[in-house]
Amino acid sequence: MELKELIVSMASLMTVTGYESHDSERLDELIGGFFDESTTDALGNRIFIKRCGRENAPKILVDAHLDEIGMIVTDIKENGFLTVTNVGGVDTRILQASDVVIYGKEKIFGVIGSTPPHLQKPSEAKSLRAIGELLIDTGYPKEELEKIVRIGTPVGFEVKYVDLANGKIAGKGFDDKACAACAAEGIRRAAREDLAGDVYLMLSSREETTAVAGAATGAYAIDPDYAFVFDVNLGTTPDVPKSESVEVGGGVSLTVCPITDRRLTRMTAELAEKRGLKYQISVSGSGTGTNTPSIHLTGAGIPCVDAGLPLKSMHTCAESLDMADAECAAELIAAFITSKEIAEVFKR
Amino acid sequence: MTNCERIELLRELCLAFGPTGCEHRVASLIKDKLEALGYESYLDRVGNLIVHIPCENAPRVMISAHTDEVGFIISEITESGYLKFRVLGGIDPRVLCGKHVTVETKSGDFVAGVIASKAIHHQTAEERKAVTPIKSMYIDIGANKKEDAESVVELGGCATFDSKFVQFGHENAFIKSKAIDDRLGCAEMIYVLEKIKGQSIPLDLWFCFTVREEIGLSGAQTAAQSIRPDYSIVIESTAVADLPDVPENSRVAKLGEGGAISLRDRSTIYDRGFVRMALALAESKGIPAQLKRYVSGGNDAGHIHKSGSGVRALAISAPSRYIHSPACVVSKNDYLSMGELLYTIITNFNEEEIKNA
Repeated sequence: MELKELIVSMASLMTVTGYESHDSERLDELIGGFFDESTTDALGNRIFIKRCGRENAPKILVDAHLDEIGMIVTDIKENGFLTVTNVGGVDTRILQASDVVIYGKEKIFGVIGSTPPHLQKPSEAKSLRAIGELLIDTGYPKEELEKIVRIGTPVGFEVKYVDLANGKIAGKGFDDKACAACAAEGIRRAAREDLAGDVYLMLSSREETTAVAGAATGAYAIDPDYAFVFDVNLGTTPDVPKSESVEVGGGVSLTVCPITDRRLTRMTAELAEKRGLKYQISVSGSGTGTNTPSIHLTGAGIPCVDAGLPLKSMHTCAESLDMADAECAAELIAAFITSKEIAEVFKR
Repeated sequence: MTNCERIELLRELCLAFGPTGCEHRVASLIKDKLEALGYESYLDRVGNLIVHIPCENAPRVMISAHTDEVGFIISEITESGYLKFRVLGGIDPRVLCGKHVTVETKSGDFVAGVIASKAIHHQTAEERKAVTPIKSMYIDIGANKKEDAESVVELGGCATFDSKFVQFGHENAFIKSKAIDDRLGCAEMIYVLEKIKGQSIPLDLWFCFTVREEIGLSGAQTAAQSIRPDYSIVIESTAVADLPDVPENSRVAKLGEGGAISLRDRSTIYDRGFVRMALALAESKGIPAQLKRYVSGGNDAGHIHKSGSGVRALAISAPSRYIHSPACVVSKNDYLSMGELLYTIITNFNEEEIKNA
């Protein structure tokens, strides 16, 4: 399977935060074969292991979160309308007139309603409805809908992907399953005999909610020697400062900030240079908006490199990325897990 | 045409590309459909597609639906290759952020794009609660810079929503699509044209697939001026709000209870006798129909009824939720029954009854 197909297939999975296991079997079909073993822990982290075959080898963690933003049903109204609340930082502006899938006893289609301009009062025109005030139209009578859906049923966005110009693609769920796909592919590409240690791909749960619980407990259980944390990074658009975003098409971003390991970051950048892989530096004065803050604090502390896949329109159904960046990422991860130099410095 | 074929016809029409001012692809699709039914149609000077079924010394009836849909027109190509746009027709900025669109290329082909704006992470607390103005949005087609975009698209090029046609709900009773307004009307007319094929109807019939309804009804205006009908039947879809959070008296009409017949809207007072005849026919033939219970919106009748020496107008509209968005929703039964109602009105037309009401 080509990387693009893997990205789209993984992004299509239903993995709304807290419901990461919904499409577990399909996930195994997609990437299980790249690894020697896999487990699921108590908080829903999926951990895939590729062994190097040597005793006492260092443990290398590659983390990408499996969960995505979504919604959860809060009420079932007359004529089969649902109210929902957000799971993770859903951008309220994208909701009206969006297609959704309600993951009840069966999968059903829904549309998030909107008031047409013809029927709006002028006072309504300037305000955005809060997510709790929106209605999902299911087309079911209430009694029928109650047989399928209940309070707490997760709701995700309908799957739709398109090819844009210059090898870019747009759709939902790239945050962070595009990274998960690149990581799985990078690990697949690395020959077992070249591995610098046992490689743990952690597709962590619950990143999108503030708790970031999955990465913390998952990393605790694995107790790796060092980690490559891979998440999407905010792509530059005309309305955001360059200093707060990274260029889509500019290669993988490496975050330099107080909590990422400077040496590991530098060595990763050198690795990219050596392999002719594009990369760019992203800077933060504090932490990162990724799993790195959790993972680096695990146990006695874990040196982390925080890498990013540039992504525009994050947390919408039209997230877009450049396949050249994704390709770079897969290659960089393959290089990272096979780097004897890095293992030499960071093994415990 | 079977019900399945009618749904398929609607799907094909809804997915066609035809923002206001750029309807020629829709007209040409309809022309092909009509040709297959054995009808000759012609395009008038503004792009209306017209079928005339002549009958001498008979009341002249203009039946119309519009081919255009709300959409976008490219107004600027930025240095970094994004497309700034203006809307064609009344689109709520709230349904735009993060939506997929289809953009017409210079060569008449299409490319995919998405309506982008600042990610939530970069928005201020106020921005997160505010409606993003259209001027802050841009279409991203993946171009790397201005020249790159300019090699594919051009100023004045149009775009529409890229949205799936979906049958959904209990027993798939509903349809969701872009452009139901008013390809649904076009589909009803094609259905009725098939049904009356070969029948001799004592009416001078003009079936008009009009352009530019969404920005001022201009296609219908010139069509009516040249046809000079005595009667006008507009087949439309109308915005309704049969939603739990809307009071009963503001819901306009209800999905599933048949085509909504207008008494008046913001641009037309409909002919009382014509409305009565339509309601009576629906009742006697057991075809569901309802009255539109709110003064809102408007349609091609706005210009048609005022043309020439005046035209008695009737409008039948499919109640549609979330109109002018990528996800308009209508009832399948309303769509199916409206065609029957139009057929019944044409084949049971009684001028005396209308005039003496």
